[in-house]
Amino acid sequence: MGGLRHFIEQSWLLIVSSFVFGLLLAATNYALAPTIEQNRIDKLNTLAKGLLPDAIHFREVTERIEIASSRGKNSEVSVYQGEADGGKCVGWSFAVSGSGFADKIDLVVAVDADFEKLAGYDVLMSNETPGFGDKIKDHFYRDQFKGAPIGELKVLTSGNAAKIDSEIIAISGATISSEAVVAILNDTLTRIKEQMEKKGLIGDDK
Amino acid sequence: MTNEVEAKAGVYRDTLLAGLWRENPVFRLLLGMCPTLAVTAAVKPALTMGCCVIFVLVCSNVIISLMRNLLKPHLRILMFTLTIATFVTIADLVLRAFMPDMSEVLGPYVPLIIVNCIIICRAEACASKNGVVVSVIDAVGMGVGFTGTLCVLASIRELLATGKIFEVAVMPDAYVPWAAMGMPVGAFVTLGLMLGLVNLTSKGRA
Repeated sequence: MGGLRHFIEQSWLLIVSSFVFGLLLAATNYALAPTIEQNRIDKLNTLAKGLLPDAIHFREVTERIEIASSRGKNSEVSVYQGEADGGKCVGWSFAVSGSGFADKIDLVVAVDADFEKLAGYDVLMSNETPGFGDKIKDHFYRDQFKGAPIGELKVLTSGNAAKIDSEIIAISGATISSEAVVAILNDTLTRIKEQMEKKGLIGDDK
Repeated sequence: MTNEVEAKAGVYRDTLLAGLWRENPVFRLLLGMCPTLAVTAAVKPALTMGCCVIFVLVCSNVIISLMRNLLKPHLRILMFTLTIATFVTIADLVLRAFMPDMSEVLGPYVPLIIVNCIIICRAEACASKNGVVVSVIDAVGMGVGFTGTLCVLASIRELLATGKIFEVAVMPDAYVPWAAMGMPVGAFVTLGLMLGLVNLTSKGRA
């Protein structure tokens, strides 16, 4: 009994403060979470619209698409269907992520309606080295992916960057960041495609 | 009575000026080096970081000053960290909700304010020993001193790295941007030169 009294005497302020601060944080989070989520969706849509210019709006597919992460855990991917006038599907977009040179890289990726070719990618979040790795955001590098076939992409240090095929020419001085983008796409696209075929969203069963 | 008022006003003035110059957290105390080096590539993120630090400093100093007589010596650092972490999380949520682009630019450096030595130093050295008014003045002085220093460093780096200040072009078209100044090396060089200059100007006055 004496031990409990001593414990409460010493730590009551800490316990009360933790409770009060916790409530304060919960209230702030409750008030701001919808705005933060809306910001994320707005950015995703803006980037996706840039990649699929024919799409008028994006509709989130209700089917659950899950892919295994590098740690072996399944993570859910939110897939959006880009629809043109009259509801015609012009492509799909989704956010994927993986390890970069300095930090995690989050990408928005768009593919065509048949999931055969990439429509391109844009960077949702990255902390790659300014002047080098952050050139993964530049058109020089990103344009190589527009129309590239879905499948195993390869990174080369030299070649013709204007040629659209499965060979991607790395950014000079930022080979690791270049490879990281390609690894993210190689790791995720085929698996997302398989899942979407299984769910009947693409392919002959559609 | 008049002397007492004058003495109080003198203490307040000294407290405010200490943070701005005599005990400037960056140039004199060499505290908060992590954000000083990391977010001074441009003025906008530096100013935003400074405002976040002022908000956290003022709020944590007020709370710690109010509870100073209740603090147990062996639990005080825990209480400081708990208080600081609460207000940093609030600042982070507000940034993510209302300034999402800036929140991305600042990345992990906003949550890292929790371990910013300036704030815990002021909690220990001032707020836990003084009344609310002195603690608030100290927080404002230190916060504005920190923000001012960050903005000076950021102005030099942004000008040399991009030819702009506050994203407004000020250098002639012929100016060749000095990309290194926007990178970590630019932060170390600028801070080193500024510290040398500050030491030179105050030589013999100490």
